Amino acid sequence: MKISIKKDQLVAYVIVALGGVIMLAPFYFMFVFSSHSNSGILSIPPPILFGDFLVENFNTLIDFLPYFWHNISLSLFVAVVVTILNLLFCSLAGYAFAMFDFKGKNFLFVGIMATMLLPPFLGMIPTAMIMSQIGWMNDPKALIIPAACGAMGIFMMRQFIASAIPKELVEAARMDGCKEFKIYYRIIVPLITPAFGTLGLITFIGTWNNFMGPLVVMNDMKMFTVPLALRALQGTGQVPWGAVAVGAAIAVLPLIFLFMMASRRLIDGLTAGAVKG
Amino acid sequence: MITFKKTAVSSLLCTALLSNAAYAEQVEITVSSFPNFNQVAEAAVPLFEAKYPNIKVKIISMAYGDHHNAMTTALATGASLPDVMSVEASYIGRFAQSGGLESLNKAPYNSGEFTDQITPFTLPQATSSNGELRAIPADIGPGALFYRQDTLKEAGVTQADLIKDWDSFIEAGVKIKAKTGNYLLANAVDIKDIYIRANLKNGEGIYFDKDHNILVNSPRFKEAFRLAKAARVAGIDARVGAWSAEWTEGLKRGTISSQMMGAWLGGHLEDWIAPDSTGLWRSSQLPNEAFASWGGSFYAIPVKAKHKPEAWEFIKFMTTTKEIQLLGMKEVNAFPSLISAQDDPFFNEEIAYLGGQKARIEWKASSAKIPTVVMDRYDESARQIINDALEQVLEKDADIDTVLAEAEKQIKRKARRR
Amino acid sequence: MNSITSQSVPHKAPAKKGNFWLRKGNKIAPYFFISPFFIIFGVFGLFPLLFSLYLSFHYWEPAAGLAAMEWVGLENYIFAFQDDWFQKSIYNTGVIALKSGIPQHALAIPLAFFIHTSFTRWRNTVIGVYFIPYITSTVAISLVFTTLFSRDFGMVNQVLTSLGNFTIADMKVLSWIFPVENIDWTRPEYTKDMISFVVFWRYVGWNTVLYLSALQTIPRDLYEAAIIDGANRYQQFRYVTLPMLKPMAFFAVTLTIIGNLQLFEEPFIITGGTGGIDQAGKTAAMHMYITAFVESDFGTASAISWILFMIIAGLTWLNHKVLGGSNH
Repeated sequence: MKISIKKDQLVAYVIVALGGVIMLAPFYFMFVFSSHSNSGILSIPPPILFGDFLVENFNTLIDFLPYFWHNISLSLFVAVVVTILNLLFCSLAGYAFAMFDFKGKNFLFVGIMATMLLPPFLGMIPTAMIMSQIGWMNDPKALIIPAACGAMGIFMMRQFIASAIPKELVEAARMDGCKEFKIYYRIIVPLITPAFGTLGLITFIGTWNNFMGPLVVMNDMKMFTVPLALRALQGTGQVPWGAVAVGAAIAVLPLIFLFMMASRRLIDGLTAGAVKG
Repeated sequence: MITFKKTAVSSLLCTALLSNAAYAEQVEITVSSFPNFNQVAEAAVPLFEAKYPNIKVKIISMAYGDHHNAMTTALATGASLPDVMSVEASYIGRFAQSGGLESLNKAPYNSGEFTDQITPFTLPQATSSNGELRAIPADIGPGALFYRQDTLKEAGVTQADLIKDWDSFIEAGVKIKAKTGNYLLANAVDIKDIYIRANLKNGEGIYFDKDHNILVNSPRFKEAFRLAKAARVAGIDARVGAWSAEWTEGLKRGTISSQMMGAWLGGHLEDWIAPDSTGLWRSSQLPNEAFASWGGSFYAIPVKAKHKPEAWEFIKFMTTTKEIQLLGMKEVNAFPSLISAQDDPFFNEEIAYLGGQKARIEWKASSAKIPTVVMDRYDESARQIINDALEQVLEKDADIDTVLAEAEKQIKRKARRR
Repeated sequence: MNSITSQSVPHKAPAKKGNFWLRKGNKIAPYFFISPFFIIFGVFGLFPLLFSLYLSFHYWEPAAGLAAMEWVGLENYIFAFQDDWFQKSIYNTGVIALKSGIPQHALAIPLAFFIHTSFTRWRNTVIGVYFIPYITSTVAISLVFTTLFSRDFGMVNQVLTSLGNFTIADMKVLSWIFPVENIDWTRPEYTKDMISFVVFWRYVGWNTVLYLSALQTIPRDLYEAAIIDGANRYQQFRYVTLPMLKPMAFFAVTLTIIGNLQLFEEPFIITGGTGGIDQAGKTAAMHMYITAFVESDFGTASAISWILFMIIAGLTWLNHKVLGGSNH
């Protein structure tokens, strides 16, 4: 680098930097728009610096979405519970696949992995119908229970446990007469906290962003998750663009925050899960 | 002391029980609605609750499209159904035929007792093919032309030029464009939309007649397409879709100088689209003696609703009380479906926003000339197919006869299940 | 994948004599541990799928209750295939898949190579900047994009036209690439481009990271050998990097195909749930959604979902044959 940067290399740096600007620009404008009035946003040229309309926009948002606080808490609740359940169920299953030998193990494991190939849209219609039959429409359960144990999580946990925990450790504990579940929470759980962190992040983000799932089981505005609530702003004739931007920022900020805290772990976790899957 | 305490406690208990009983008698009904139709209900609820102290009303409102999708899902799944369902005219055909709504012209509702007081052309819209009335009209949308008086003046064009006939309308648009640079129309599609709705024969719908025959391959549609194309070629439309940001801004800034829609558009203009343009807009009847219904809202009761008698009280209150019908007119320009409300002196008042024009009287006169319109379950599908077909004509110079013949085939296929 | 499963049969711990439960627990425990997945999948995964298959052979008027289902055989499938709207939605899906997919990979590979070779201190920041669109809420960001793509007031047109009207000596030197007038992105001829750009924007970083992870596994001595042979940077890329990236390319392209054919959220938000003018932005998954939840035709919609599933499976298999053939 310190030697001479060649001309084509310089061009490449400029291109990468420009690309980076394009990647970040929508976020920047989201924040800019959230501080401008509608007529400010809809002017020529559009604003590029921050305005002073943030509070008004937030009030408009609450006007349009009277349950927005409820929507946020619901989203948070669903995402947290789904995350916790996934950590528990996936680590148990991952532990079983990594440390036990049992009949049908390979077959069952391949079966679980195969379910990852099923596209989510395939279940959209029947899920909505089943939820309505069992009375779970507009019930957070409809978002939590079906998502409580994902195949991807099982895979990640199995990989991690197999690579991080020597089998001998488990054998030794068994020799000492430890019950299986005790082995799980005394030995396995403390050793797999990094994997918990990664899987937790991925699950939380995925659930927080989920749109298709809630779209078909939530049709009461109060029970909307944040993405649904934001989308509901769109259909009104008078789209309050500033308020939309505030809402979008609220939906995105936690994610940006999490990403800044743990970008390395997130990227590695997401790609490792995908690549080895 | 102890006995005193005892009596105190038991009397407390008594009151608690009593109030509990009173509470149990009170019923809360849910009314689902969409903007700005919901504002009428919101304004009326205090009056309704005063008259019926045992009924509490909760209004849920969602965006127009979302509301109707949510109601479709609710009807399909039976989950989170309201007691009173609002339905807009575009969807009334599909909803009325679905079998998920109560038949209101039968016992115990017997709407026949008062339906003769309602503007006649709207009732068939909510009537299923086996003659059951599935919803009660709450407001109607007599078609009107709103235009910017100042722009016309600047261009030397009069209202008479606009409404004489369609060719004169387009000619006026060309003059306006040349003199002021403004567009006469938001979109050429608007002409088609008015033309296909105008002057229908009794027993005809927009796309289907009462026997489900498809009507799109007809002179009415061909002429509508031809006029839309002529407007596009003349360059007098801003090519923006209704309700888009460009559309509202165009109306606000006056770069779009007229809009044909239901009379209720006046309320939207004044409320939020162009609140600063007081005195600049005018309303007139549609060009070429066209009388058309555009929009309108209905109330219905789902078969699986929990509080049907209370819901029915609410619907009757909203649709047959003159004061409430007028309230809708005052709140959001929702044109009364109740005939007696249309005779109120309020209709003779000047509208400040429209430069002191007595527009309500004109709308009333038009509404009397609107023919009965048959709505069909497949109206929405047909509407989309026709819009796609027109797109081919406007943008790709497709032949009108060919696209309409093709559209007819498509509609036939879509409506395969009757 | 087989590091564990292929391990030699474990030395069964000689359990303490008479401790029946300990031995038995060892046998039952794993089944118990994996049971949550199977219970949940059975109830909310498998059963719905079978039900949807069943539904796809029926006509059903939802408001009339579950009993009103009527067996129609393959009629729903036949109708879906012949339906212009379905054909159009498949075409749209394909076009958007290509328009967003090809640039994703065409740019991600050189970008990954460049990041891999030329960044040290800023490496993680650069990766983070490109990756962050992938983790953000599609709905939120698509809404922001609809403002940015507004015809008269959008930043995208603002930038494009100012480039198009960029003048040197009275000549609009860039007008042959960039527009000089505002583009109406909601027009049918542009809708797919707008959607494709948003999809591209969202996934290019994701693919870059995938390729980066593959680049890290290429042994250094391969490059050293190439350098000794006098290969310049471009030749190293062409003759060392690209061939070594092939397995990852196969994998990443497969993911893109599967993902793009299911595209739903971006077009749904950008076109306001309608598919746009002339349905130019309506994807197959959207068509399925609209058929079911707007038009209430759940039978036909189920048939559409199965057709789409078969198309995706078929294309994945084809991709495996074409790109992945040599790896196995």
